[in-house]
Amino acid sequence: MRRNGAAAIAFNLVFSLFMLGPIIVVIGVAFTPEGFLEFPPSGISLRWFRAILDNPEFITAAWISLKLGVAAASVATVLAVPAALAIGRGRFAGRDALQALFLSPLMVPTVVLGIAFLRFLSLLGLNGTFTGLMLCHAIIITPFILRLVLASVAGLDRSVEMAAISLGARPLTVFRRVTLPAILPGVIGGWMLAFITSFDELTVTVFIVNPSTTTLPVRLFSHITQTTDPLVASVSAVAILFTVVLMVLVDRLYGLDRLLIGEGKR
Amino acid sequence: MAFLELHSLTKRFGAITAVEDLTFSVERGSFVSLLGPSGCGKTTTLQMVAGFETPTDGRIVLDGRDLSGVPARERGLGIVFQTYALFAHMTVAENVAFGLEMRKVAKAERTRRIADALDLVHLSHLEDRYPRSMSGGQRQRVALARALVIEPQLLLLDEPLSNLDAKLREEMQLELRRIQREAGVTTLMVTHDQSEALAMSDSIVVMDRGRLRQDATPFDVYEMPQSSFVSRFLGKSNNLAARLGESGPDGAALHCGNVVLHGPKADLPPGPVEIALRPERIALTGPDGGKLRGTVAERVFMGNQWLLRVETEIGDMLVMRYNTGRREADIGETVGLDWNPADIRILPAETNPA
Ligand SMILES: Nc1ncnc2c1ncn2[C@@H]1O[C@H](COP(=O)(O)OP(=O)(O)O)[C@@H](O)[C@H]1O
Ligand SMILES: [Mg+2]
Repeated sequence: MRRNGAAAIAFNLVFSLFMLGPIIVVIGVAFTPEGFLEFPPSGISLRWFRAILDNPEFITAAWISLKLGVAAASVATVLAVPAALAIGRGRFAGRDALQALFLSPLMVPTVVLGIAFLRFLSLLGLNGTFTGLMLCHAIIITPFILRLVLASVAGLDRSVEMAAISLGARPLTVFRRVTLPAILPGVIGGWMLAFITSFDELTVTVFIVNPSTTTLPVRLFSHITQTTDPLVASVSAVAILFTVVLMVLVDRLYGLDRLLIGEGKR
Repeated sequence: MAFLELHSLTKRFGAITAVEDLTFSVERGSFVSLLGPSGCGKTTTLQMVAGFETPTDGRIVLDGRDLSGVPARERGLGIVFQTYALFAHMTVAENVAFGLEMRKVAKAERTRRIADALDLVHLSHLEDRYPRSMSGGQRQRVALARALVIEPQLLLLDEPLSNLDAKLREEMQLELRRIQREAGVTTLMVTHDQSEALAMSDSIVVMDRGRLRQDATPFDVYEMPQSSFVSRFLGKSNNLAARLGESGPDGAALHCGNVVLHGPKADLPPGPVEIALRPERIALTGPDGGKLRGTVAERVFMGNQWLLRVETEIGDMLVMRYNTGRREADIGETVGLDWNPADIRILPAETNPA
């Protein structure tokens, strides 16, 4: 297959364009001076970015989504790390069942989950509350963290922990000083993936929000069902910028490829 | 009473018996090797001493104290794992510091002891490096320093040299022994490498399928094997089935097929036995000399010595000759084999061949 050089390059180009296309279109539309969705834009204008400031409900929604993502990802991480350690290394009855349980939110259709959560939250009296929303998101995103942390745990050398114990470390110290640092890439990677998943979750969320807890995706969704002005594009562009900054920051701090390739050891 | 004593130690994993009725002891300050083929239960034994496995039966006594019920964390042992098990996110100095921090050793003393430990393993210049940027031999030294800095009562080594290449392994044999002597620490090492065990130990415990086969000094294990297994596991040996006749005052008659050989006096009753003769104890003579005649079938030059396979009427015999710079018998040549009858070892016939 030596002849396919040109074809392969062409394919990669087309594929990259396909992947980047929506982002390019959204950013392009966001800069339009016109009052409708237009691509390519007929000029460059910050009109629709200024419009965000006139629609504070978007800023409120973004703020809710941010808090929701951080809280849900953190709660899910606290759940998933001990679960991954137990599943990844334990030899106990019900290990497979436990793993299936934690991964099940991936298997159940999100619409079904949404209806189930709606019913469940009313039973608990948490309907429409931030706490209720956060718990539901935590459940949905736990599988993502679990899988990344499980991969790190698989690469863990048990004798490293034994070494720490033989040197006199108590179980909590072993976890804090030895185990956690060794699986940290998986934990951080999982947290990020979970945060992003929560940040743009729509299907389940529409079932369980109320006006005071409307998230950014839900706000955008309800906006485009009413009008089709480029405001949605400028809000999206800001969200994309936020994601890019986050990625660059993590890359600087930690090395993005190490996270995403999921290398367990340094 | 010895410093470390294992009494009838047994470990079963379900239907598998990994260690069975193992009894031996280690004197204070000595270096003892647990030697045996892979899967014979060496690591399991070490893990029981370390406190990571609970014996199914038997007792471990360290310095007069029964260790059952003492958790691994409180045993105060230094352990070097086969994979070294270094803390990858810590520098060399931080790795070594870990055990001292757990013991709440004051900062000043900690710094001094880390420096001493790194000095002992000749790594002082690398204290700020991370393990990932070090060679296998250097990591091994870090692991040793980390284990020794806590001044353990006992040092446990699990196949410490098996991840090193051959040349480094030989160097580290001597180095490990030097470090052990300087630290004066009682050491129990696990290895499947007989030459390593012979070179390094004060005493060797040979294991096979979970059981103890012999416990003696390296010289005695090699010279006076008490079983066919031990004679074949340590070094090379010519082992032949024979029938032991009555022992007379000047030794025993050994019937190998149609040939009668003479051996030393045996403590065994007449009947089937196995005889063992080391290749380096056999001399080559002219075709009409010696005790046995044969034809050279194979010849391997190993630099300092020759290894020959000689076909005889009682079976193939390996012969080891030092290379003295002279020509050695060629393939196809008929030779005579000679030895001192006292070099023959008479062993019980193996009832359950491996
Ligand atoms: N945790 C375990 N569960 C079941 N079997 C084990 C376990 N650990 C060791 N074994 C078995 O016990 C035997 C001895 O193992 P080991 O002590 O590791 O041998 P060695 O270190 O001499 O190679 C082997 O047959 C091994 O499969
Ligand atoms: Mg082993």
